[in-house]
Amino acid sequence: MSQKVTRRQFLNYSLMGVGSFMAAGAILPMGRFALDPLFQGEAQGSMITTSVKAEEITEEPVKVDFSYEQQDAWYKSEVTDFVWVYRDGDQIIALSPICKHLGCTVTWAGDDANPNKFFCPCHNGLYEKNGKNIPGTPPRGPLDQYEVGESDGFITIGEMFENELV
Amino acid sequence: MLYNQKDLKVLKDEIEFIDTVIIPFAAMDMDMKAPVHAGNLELLQIVCVQLEKQFKGRLLITPPMMTVGEDTSLLGMYTTQLREYGFKNIIVLTHLQAEPGDMNKIRLNEIPLENMSDDMKMEMINDEVKTVMKSVISIWNQ
Ligand code: FES
Repeated sequence: MSQKVTRRQFLNYSLMGVGSFMAAGAILPMGRFALDPLFQGEAQGSMITTSVKAEEITEEPVKVDFSYEQQDAWYKSEVTDFVWVYRDGDQIIALSPICKHLGCTVTWAGDDANPNKFFCPCHNGLYEKNGKNIPGTPPRGPLDQYEVGESDGFITIGEMFENELV
Repeated sequence: MLYNQKDLKVLKDEIEFIDTVIIPFAAMDMDMKAPVHAGNLELLQIVCVQLEKQFKGRLLITPPMMTVGEDTSLLGMYTTQLREYGFKNIIVLTHLQAEPGDMNKIRLNEIPLENMSDDMKMEMINDEVKTVMKSVISIWNQ
């Protein structure tokens, strides 16, 4: 199911890029905390249209939110995730913000000493702009990539796959 | 990390990196303030979901610990266990006043979410999450 993301403005955290937010009101039942979804992420598959215009994408990575419905054994919920998107020549690249060390969220230019790298605040992990992990920091591989496209001028996001840029 | 079988397996091997535990601590008193407690619990859970997304690789977020009459004895017992397990930083995330002994505490604001528009809610919660994240980072930097 592909759906246009509502035009709701997700607020940017100044501290670091927090993109993801549950739909308001979709509060997780308490038990959800302890449960591991058994059947996950089925609803994806086709490209999801975001509210970001392709022409706005520059060489500087920006957060692009995308929402989809996730169905697991007991619940259907709307999940909002985000990807880091930038332009490289005539290509648009989308990278996952999930650190390949232990899964924290990485930020572009999150560390003052490394203005042109992705930074993970948990154990000071660093990645090049193309997602390549920098040796000597904890991450064990490059950031994953996402299929990315364009529909009516808006960025669309598809499946995640292993980084092919590095 | 969360308190589930998959994450606990990772935790065992990576305790050196996952050195911090967050205990969401909330009241479930059935008194005059019950609706307030319920609202607080809701906020607490949303904040925890966000924390998990941001800091998954360095935090274990335990299931919420509920209390009545602001009793903290269970919390004390739990803290001892957590230390023995190997956690360096123990952080209690709560709306309650109680001053637990040997641990860090991050106090959440009471936000009357139910009377707000969705946008307003989102903004208030985002601010709260930001504040908590900063507190966590400052505990790491101690
Ligand atoms: S989780 Fe990113 S560096 Fe450890």
